[in-house]
Amino acid sequence: MRKRTNSGQILLIVAFILASLLVSAQLYILEVGKTSGEAESDSLSDFMLSIQFGSRNVVIGSLANISDGGTSNALGLNLREWSSFIGNQYLYGKSILDYTLRDTAPYSSGIWLDWSLNGYGVSSAYVNFTHMLSGLEADVAQSYLMNVTTTLLIASTNRRLSENIRQVNVTINVQNEAGPALAKQITIYYRVSSNWLVPDVANNYTLLDYGNGTYLASFVATFPTESVEVSAHIVDYRDIYVQANATSTEI
Amino acid sequence: MFDRKGQIRIIESFLAIAVVFSAMLVSVTFPSAPDLSKQKSLASMGTQTLLTLDTNGTLGNLILQQNWSDIKTVLDILLPAGVSFNLTVCDENGIAVNSEAIQNSNLLGREAVSVQYVCATRSQTVQFFVVRLQLAWMG
Repeated sequence: MRKRTNSGQILLIVAFILASLLVSAQLYILEVGKTSGEAESDSLSDFMLSIQFGSRNVVIGSLANISDGGTSNALGLNLREWSSFIGNQYLYGKSILDYTLRDTAPYSSGIWLDWSLNGYGVSSAYVNFTHMLSGLEADVAQSYLMNVTTTLLIASTNRRLSENIRQVNVTINVQNEAGPALAKQITIYYRVSSNWLVPDVANNYTLLDYGNGTYLASFVATFPTESVEVSAHIVDYRDIYVQANATSTEI
Repeated sequence: MFDRKGQIRIIESFLAIAVVFSAMLVSVTFPSAPDLSKQKSLASMGTQTLLTLDTNGTLGNLILQQNWSDIKTVLDILLPAGVSFNLTVCDENGIAVNSEAIQNSNLLGREAVSVQYVCATRSQTVQFFVVRLQLAWMG
């Protein structure tokens, strides 16, 4: 009887085992790569920064609304909606945005509007934020404050041209957060008796823009009394309204 | 006279080599794992672009004005050449609001990354949007 040798079959079996090991190792590497790619595609710091920018936009929009005659609770309502909205937007965990409207004088419910001072007007909003993020990447809490302030400073001088006619100059300075800012719209008023009038072409009205947040308005008008009162109403490039009144000084 | 046993051995050896070799070929032709560093840099670039656009409220304003062509132009300027993009603007309910495609080329068949950006407008009636930007390297 001939003796059978199985070394050829064993060689083939070993080859099959090696082949399956190679293929499964490659599949495993591919699968692991896919998973980590998904987890790392979103950046935590970028997400937090985008929320900070959004919060700032909400505060600016709300202040624009309130300064234009909107209800004083607009800031709180908008922030509540914003906070609820972003709570559902972080895909890899939980995002909670808390906010506190400043309530110490001169702020009330995060808002300070003061247009009554001589030569000075301010529209401002002040909110403290705490953003907490917990998820796959990390647990982070970030606090920041948002102070949005548009300030208007005006000063006026006038020169008598004849009996009741005066040449009036109004220097206007617009600031955003204490830095120079441009105005989108400027309207000057002057007071005659109890009426506030707007100077126009008939008054030789000119407005000079110095390009650095400073403007010079000039006009000629008839004033029945010695007192010359002027007012400037402006809207800045963030759509925030502010006004200021001043008594003009004769030179 | 030929030795038949020897011939079978040779055939078996060739078969074994063929099996191992074909397994190696299969694993080489598998799609490689995605290049994470490239993907991350694309995603980061996309988010930075949207942050730049949102710094002074421009992104929200353009969305409110439904000025999709200007958004495309700005992305063309801010993103480096060689990057394809497709941007979708969704409202608070996740419904796409851009009436026309905001893209510079088709992303079909490319290895793309997607970044999501939440945006609030500076308008007096504040509105919220989710902006989804898909990016891929051209070629």
